Amino acid sequence: MLSSSRDDSQYEKRLLTALIKGDQSAFGGLYELYGDKIFRYTYRMLGNRSDAEDATAETFLRVFRRSAELRADGAFRTWLFRIARNLCIDKMRQHKLLELPAEAHYGGTEEKAALKVTVQQALNELPLEYREPLLLCDLEDISAKEAAETLGISVPALKSRLYRGRRALRERLGGSMEKLK
Amino acid sequence: MNDFYRKLVDQYAGSELPEELEQEMEGAAMADPELAGDMFTLRKTVELLQGLPAPEFTNESFYRILMRMHAAGVNVETQTPEPTHYQYQLPMQG
Repeated sequence: MLSSSRDDSQYEKRLLTALIKGDQSAFGGLYELYGDKIFRYTYRMLGNRSDAEDATAETFLRVFRRSAELRADGAFRTWLFRIARNLCIDKMRQHKLLELPAEAHYGGTEEKAALKVTVQQALNELPLEYREPLLLCDLEDISAKEAAETLGISVPALKSRLYRGRRALRERLGGSMEKLK
Repeated sequence: MNDFYRKLVDQYAGSELPEELEQEMEGAAMADPELAGDMFTLRKTVELLQGLPAPEFTNESFYRILMRMHAAGVNVETQTPEPTHYQYQLPMQG
């Protein structure tokens, strides 16, 4: 597996160029490069493995079906996340529920593990408007510019939602934060 | 001056400020418990969030997604070796 993001971006460009030229074997490389990232994101959005697998598969299927529209211009990752996001929102509308990831390993001491569960629950309870910037910027480590493009908003709007989301999360953690003082 | 720092708490929490300015804020916070509380709890919130475990992308998930794509008519060639239990179809019963 390629390690640095620069190598990843060059590898991505090669794969996209090949796919645009009709080499469908390059599609597998894109899945290997981004499958885990899209799966993590969709799992965090939807809260369970089965729906995340469905959403990840559908995300890549849409890429495959629209491979004629692809451009190797560096915007692929944002486009991929945007497809995944729209699919997750559709699924959330269908299910109207969000479960706590049951399989997540909340390691550490019992107290630390309990705190992680509390943080995860507080995050899940946030309105989507706040949760999405936190997932993209704080959990997936995506830049503010890319996150803003994924969500279809400006960078200042993204930052405003991110900051308000963090404060809303702190409010919900209330008592747990007091113990840390 | 602390009003200026109060406006920067969000950036402080996300470690977006230059180190020098962070140190200035931490110095100012020593004499201002309200500012200190805001800075500490918000940064801790971000740290807790970033410390959440990532959902594990297991081999089983990797292959189940491949099989979903296959079922939709798209054959995906990957370089990841396929586990043996996906290589052989079990005979149909009945």
